[in-house]
Amino acid sequence: MSETATSPVVRLEHIARAYHTGLVSIPAVRDISLEIEPRVFSVIVGPSGSGKTTLLNMIGCIDVPDSGRVEIRGEDVLRLSDNALADFRARTIGYVFQSFNLIPVLSAFENVEYPLLLLNVPVAERRRRTTAMLESVGLGAQAKQRPNELSGGQKQRVAIARALIKEPALVLADEPTANLDSATGTSIIALMRRMQEEFHTSFIFCTHDPRLMAEADQTFSIRDGVLV
Amino acid sequence: MLFRLAIRNISRNRRRSVMTAALVAMGALALLLFGAFTTYIFAGLETGLVQRGGHLAVYRSGYFLFGPGNPAAYGIDDYQTVMRDIGDDPALKSMINVMTPTQAVVGIAGNFSATTSASKTFFGIGLVGAAREQMRRWDEYGAGRPFAPDDRLSDPNASRGVIGRGVARMLGLCGPLHVPDCPVPEARPDPAGTAPPLDPALADLAHNEAGAQSATSTAPQVQLLSATANGAPNIVSLDVAGVDTQSVKELDDNYVAMPLALAQQLVYGRGEHKVTGIVLQLHRTEDVPAARARLVSLIAERHLPLEVRDYRELNPFFVQVVGLFSLIFLFLALIMIVIVLFAVVNTMTMNVLERTAEIGTVRAMGVRRASIRRLFLAEGGVLGALGATLGVVLAFIAIALVNHAGFQWTPPGNTDPVPFQLAWPTRPLLLLGTWLGLVLVATLATLPPANRAARSRIVDALRHV
Repeated sequence: MSETATSPVVRLEHIARAYHTGLVSIPAVRDISLEIEPRVFSVIVGPSGSGKTTLLNMIGCIDVPDSGRVEIRGEDVLRLSDNALADFRARTIGYVFQSFNLIPVLSAFENVEYPLLLLNVPVAERRRRTTAMLESVGLGAQAKQRPNELSGGQKQRVAIARALIKEPALVLADEPTANLDSATGTSIIALMRRMQEEFHTSFIFCTHDPRLMAEADQTFSIRDGVLV
Repeated sequence: MLFRLAIRNISRNRRRSVMTAALVAMGALALLLFGAFTTYIFAGLETGLVQRGGHLAVYRSGYFLFGPGNPAAYGIDDYQTVMRDIGDDPALKSMINVMTPTQAVVGIAGNFSATTSASKTFFGIGLVGAAREQMRRWDEYGAGRPFAPDDRLSDPNASRGVIGRGVARMLGLCGPLHVPDCPVPEARPDPAGTAPPLDPALADLAHNEAGAQSATSTAPQVQLLSATANGAPNIVSLDVAGVDTQSVKELDDNYVAMPLALAQQLVYGRGEHKVTGIVLQLHRTEDVPAARARLVSLIAERHLPLEVRDYRELNPFFVQVVGLFSLIFLFLALIMIVIVLFAVVNTMTMNVLERTAEIGTVRAMGVRRASIRRLFLAEGGVLGALGATLGVVLAFIAIALVNHAGFQWTPPGNTDPVPFQLAWPTRPLLLLGTWLGLVLVATLATLPPANRAARSRIVDALRHV
């Protein structure tokens, strides 16, 4: 099944996920179905422990529901092999983490370039696109610096550049402003909004941040593992 | 990118990586130094054996197994023709350094001088002095003792030879020969010494031979008694030019070396003079298999009743020493492998644990499990390569220092101290084998932690603190 301009980028059908501790089973997500339109700014909101990160992980194909169906860009991802799923993530999904999760031994440039390496993009094109992307997030001068030489805001800009460099259909971000001060958080939100419009990418956030919620085109509220 | 990432990753915790690489380096150093030592030992032993007995010997069929007890019965007929055929063979000609005949003799040696009357059994060898001198110059590996000319057997017509120190001691010749640290035998009621008593007629013959020769020679003499090829007793006098101490006591107590003509006279009398062996010393030891094959083929073509033996067969002690040192090397290698294995497993397990969240991140970005495994294996390999390379450098420095230190030692098979040297470990099997072996061990040691990293679930890895 291929994506059309109007078909949802994410379609979840009756997905459920529980965590098992010994004999105890703790449901995290219960029978959730939803669709996310392409090229929109979506947020998943809910209190801590409500299941929003679990839901985001399943959308990002890094966790598997106990039941239900997950379709990303029309692809039934639960049918893919482990390698095919890894390749699918490499092509289709970008991640922005709360703790940035940059690779400490790589420079800002190399961190952003890394996803293109996974896609076997030729070296010249890789360099051109990486340079342009770093310029785009305002870090052209910091290209050679390693993550420990960057501020929190700069790290998150690198993380955003890394997520967008491959021009994915979907960017997932788990609390992307939680570790940033207010001013930096605001600038990061503005940057993500601008990049989303520029790259026509779907952004899905898990957040408590009211500023991010205010930017949302589509909002999903979750409580005790169900959408409310 | 894989190796760039691997090198950067192992430099994260420098102290840990340096310690692990140092252990690998110590492993390489120990293996290369011991390998250098054994290489030198093997080279020294082989040089001594080849200088004395050559690489190959042609015998009459059956001599190797049965001939030493009765060499007269195993003479090679028309040996000059055989030697000419071998020498004229184009394939062998280029490989041969020296070809010389030898004659083995067994019998009784006696000293019947005015003051002494002693006899004992001996095992003698008749050889061509000039060829022996040329053979003593062979030093393919540079592991031989410095060449010192020895002309005691150089005159083919003289009755001059050398005896073992033990023979000199038992025949009461240490004094006349001025042999240091050689005790004189105590007076014993049985004047026949260690050999069976001589038949009175033979004893008279020996005494007469001694009396006849002493008039013309100033050197101490021994009378050599043996049976000729047709069973008749025969006796010759040998002017003892000196002592040639042998490393094995049994040999030293029986050794007599004499010119080939004298040995032939003793064994064959007035009959056809034959030899028991034709010794071939090659320019290079590596030619032994080819030369042997050609000799066997030549013998078969001529339908000659001859056999060929190489220096390893003639010197089982050498093969045993090589086997023993090889076993010790293997044992040492196993210990080093275990040490390197544990060190690398420990280091890489710590690396995997510390980078769990990072593994989750790159897996989420689309890196396959196999790529994670490859990355950690590359890190183990790089760590091993750094350590092994350092070990090789240290080994070469250590060998240079040892070789310039001027140490001395007495290796097995030698009677005098020689310089203690280590051979440069340039044999590909030793140098590349050690280097590659340690890199391989370090890489394989990374496999369990690498598998653990590759198998981890992405969400669990991302949650890891």
